[in-house]
Amino acid sequence: MLLGCLALGSCTNTVERAPGGILQRSQQDPALSGNGEMLAVIVDQRGRPTVQLRDIQNGKILPLRHFSRHQPHSSPSLSWNGRYLAVITQRGNRRLMIIEDRLSGRVHPLPLPGGRDPVRLSLAPDARQVALQVADQGHWRVELFDLSQILEPDKPAGLQSSFPSTELGS
Amino acid sequence: MRYVHLLSLSTWFSSFLLCFGLAACGREALRPIQGLNRFLLQSASSRREPALGRRWLASLSNEKGREKIELIDLRSRRPVPLPGLNRPDAQPISVSVSANGERLALVRQRDDQTELLLYRRSLGSVQRLELSAKGIPRQVSLDGPGRILAVQVSRDGRWDVDLIRLSI
Repeated sequence: MLLGCLALGSCTNTVERAPGGILQRSQQDPALSGNGEMLAVIVDQRGRPTVQLRDIQNGKILPLRHFSRHQPHSSPSLSWNGRYLAVITQRGNRRLMIIEDRLSGRVHPLPLPGGRDPVRLSLAPDARQVALQVADQGHWRVELFDLSQILEPDKPAGLQSSFPSTELGS
Repeated sequence: MRYVHLLSLSTWFSSFLLCFGLAACGREALRPIQGLNRFLLQSASSRREPALGRRWLASLSNEKGREKIELIDLRSRRPVPLPGLNRPDAQPISVSVSANGERLALVRQRDDQTELLLYRRSLGSVQRLELSAKGIPRQVSLDGPGRILAVQVSRDGRWDVDLIRLSI
């Protein structure tokens, strides 16, 4: 069966439009939570690219406390249970990563060291690290940053062991 | 003796400035993971489109002018082989990785086609995924288990996001 599916290519995958897709003028930069229950996208709100979070099951828009300003937003990324949403935002002339903790309501503005601007980001499923794409002397670079002193881990239910940052570290 | 005093005074003053600065700002600061960043810097002339799994970093790395999909085991700091995935006639556009590093979803350009693909590392297999309505895929995001794929699609002059529930 498996080999047959692979040989045939698409097999029986179910494709559906993301919730709200028909009503929205444009949806970009999709990011799923690790558990697959939430979807963050960038939508056009009165001409301003703004992050929006949706429950995949019922299509409802989930409330965000800190992302009504500082557009344009780009490159959203979610942790496993969707507790943390990381987004690149604009403050003055600077691009800046902001992480919203949906559990506590706290916001963490995290500028890049050295006055650089992030271009894309990816949050680790447990939110212990973040990978940022930056421009450096005409080249794209990816740099990893430790978030373990800033955020509590957001692990899948029942998973005790995490991948400690110290194992990754310098 | 005087030199030692000056040295300790300067150390004390630096510590004071650091503490005062941190307290005054009250800001959280990003802490670079130095060893890994050195490795990432040295292992490719450029790198973009990062996607993190639990202990995996997928990205598009460029070496000698050719861009390819690379999966790095962050624990061993080594790229893992991806047999059958990178082709000299294809240009990768976007990549995402499942939490356990087993599945990679990708968009790539090959000839005149933009392909949406799922790669299974343990099988070394590349599966082409079809969209239900015609469109051009651009950006992908896999969920942790690698069972749901969100893909940004250009369709009728606008951007849509399709969700694909992968059956296998």
